[in-house]
Amino acid sequence: MIRPFKYSKPRFLREALEALEKENTRALAGGSDLLVEMREGKSQPEHIVDVKAIPELSCFSIGKDGITIGGQLSLNELADSKELGQTCPILGDAVRTVATPQVRNRATLVGNLCTASPAADMAPPLFVLNAAVVVASKAGEQRIPIQRFFQGPKKNCLTPGQLVLRVEIPPCSSGRGVFMKKSRVQGHDLATINVAGWANPQDGSLRICIGACGPTPVLLTGSDELYQRAVSRDELLDGLAMLAQDQIAPIDDLRASAAYRRHLVTVFLGRMVRILFPEEGGTSRAS
Amino acid sequence: MLHEIPLYTISVEVNERTYTEKVPAQMTLLQFLRERLCLTGAKEGCGVGECGACTVLLNGKAVDACLVLAVEADQASVRTVEGEARDGELTLLQRAFIEHGAVQCGFCTSGMLLSAQSLLEKNPHPDQEEIVEAISGNLCRCTGYVQILEAIEAVALGREEGG
Ligand SMILES: Cc1cc2nc3c(=O)[nH]c(=O)nc-3n(C[C@H](O)[C@H](O)[C@H](O)COP(=O)(O)OP(=O)(O)OC[C@H]3O[C@@H](n4cnc5c(N)ncnc54)[C@H](O)[C@@H]3O)c2cc1C
Ligand code: FES
Ligand code: FES
Repeated sequence: MIRPFKYSKPRFLREALEALEKENTRALAGGSDLLVEMREGKSQPEHIVDVKAIPELSCFSIGKDGITIGGQLSLNELADSKELGQTCPILGDAVRTVATPQVRNRATLVGNLCTASPAADMAPPLFVLNAAVVVASKAGEQRIPIQRFFQGPKKNCLTPGQLVLRVEIPPCSSGRGVFMKKSRVQGHDLATINVAGWANPQDGSLRICIGACGPTPVLLTGSDELYQRAVSRDELLDGLAMLAQDQIAPIDDLRASAAYRRHLVTVFLGRMVRILFPEEGGTSRAS
Repeated sequence: MLHEIPLYTISVEVNERTYTEKVPAQMTLLQFLRERLCLTGAKEGCGVGECGACTVLLNGKAVDACLVLAVEADQASVRTVEGEARDGELTLLQRAFIEHGAVQCGFCTSGMLLSAQSLLEKNPHPDQEEIVEAISGNLCRCTGYVQILEAIEAVALGREEGG
């Protein structure tokens, strides 16, 4: 049973921000994390602020300047957008691995980030796409790089009185991405690990993010240099595997042992590099 | 702790009939349907979004009613399994479930029907992969799923005749 609480559904951003300044007040989007936590007694807010009527959170645009996804957009609204699928397929690929159709009809992308689970499936693609989270408070708006938004297991960087308005993704036409997820069963399950990679031959960048292998998703540092230096795909792969093993810090839990997670990371990096660079020899930066 | 439990007046259309009721914020849509309206077709299996036994259509979309607050359904339209048959006439899908032996204990059936129905309304001729995905949030402990898939496929392929 859920403990009694007060509910409001403001139509003005200012009203929501004021309410969220008070102690023990939580924002409600799709409820797929919050209501489960409340039912399990892990959180007992006194006031719930439903964000689904605030116009500032309803934006969804895909253009030359990038992609903007408001805090009300459900995961299925993203999966159903043909335009998003064409412009940035990696997002839809990740969305389709999250939860069940019923949950995806309610759960939002922003809620997935706000919960800040190390295994959040939407995090790795947004890390490699260099996304930013736009946060509002009574003092104004702030643009926070997604890496800074994730502070620890289930800990984001928001303080009381702050609300996420939207996620912004820079233009992603000149690159290529891959998302992969390993779960215990073929059906729906949280990730044992998840991995996203993004290669842009034009500016020589290679970004790789690994989830469920540390307190927050891990964006590998040093992958760009490896990409630019590596003379063969095998060399790149060996280098990436070494970087990853150095930078991840997986734990044993009910889904997998730390050792198995480490093993999976190397396997997935191999698969990912072969998809990103289909040619056997080099990493085809020139082509 | 709150000293007084606040109540909220909601107006919800359920199976084409409008109900206006006072509810506490912590009441889920599933509790509202089952306990207030006595519509017990939607079941509570897990209560946390895992099993789909509580699936209803909220503004046309399949959702787990255990993860929706009744206050969130204010001004919305809801369809439950009780509203599917018309004038005692079962839907094609309901008949197909019976004909293919897709119902054993029946606990998952109302949710399965609504997940499948929402797929068929969006996409009348889904392939098998799309059907499997559409009911992937509905667990069945009895049938092994084969008969359920066959029933939905029969409707998708137009093998189930109306009238
Ligand atoms: C059965 C089931 C299976 C699942 N499977 C997966 C899975 O495979 N992969 C995965 O990654 N996740 C999974 N999840 C988790 C969940 O569905 C996602 O994390 C979801 O995207 C959360 O979004 P929401 O809109 O439901 O958030 P809510 O539950 O509404 O909110 C989540 C948190 O974010 C805060 N919040 C929401 N919106 C804002 C805002 N605009 N500003 C500030 N704070 C805000 C809330 O206060 C709360 O703390 C699963 C959940 C269930 C129930
Ligand atoms: S009771 Fe709602 S999903 Fe199980
Ligand atoms: S028929 Fe018993 S759970 Fe599906």
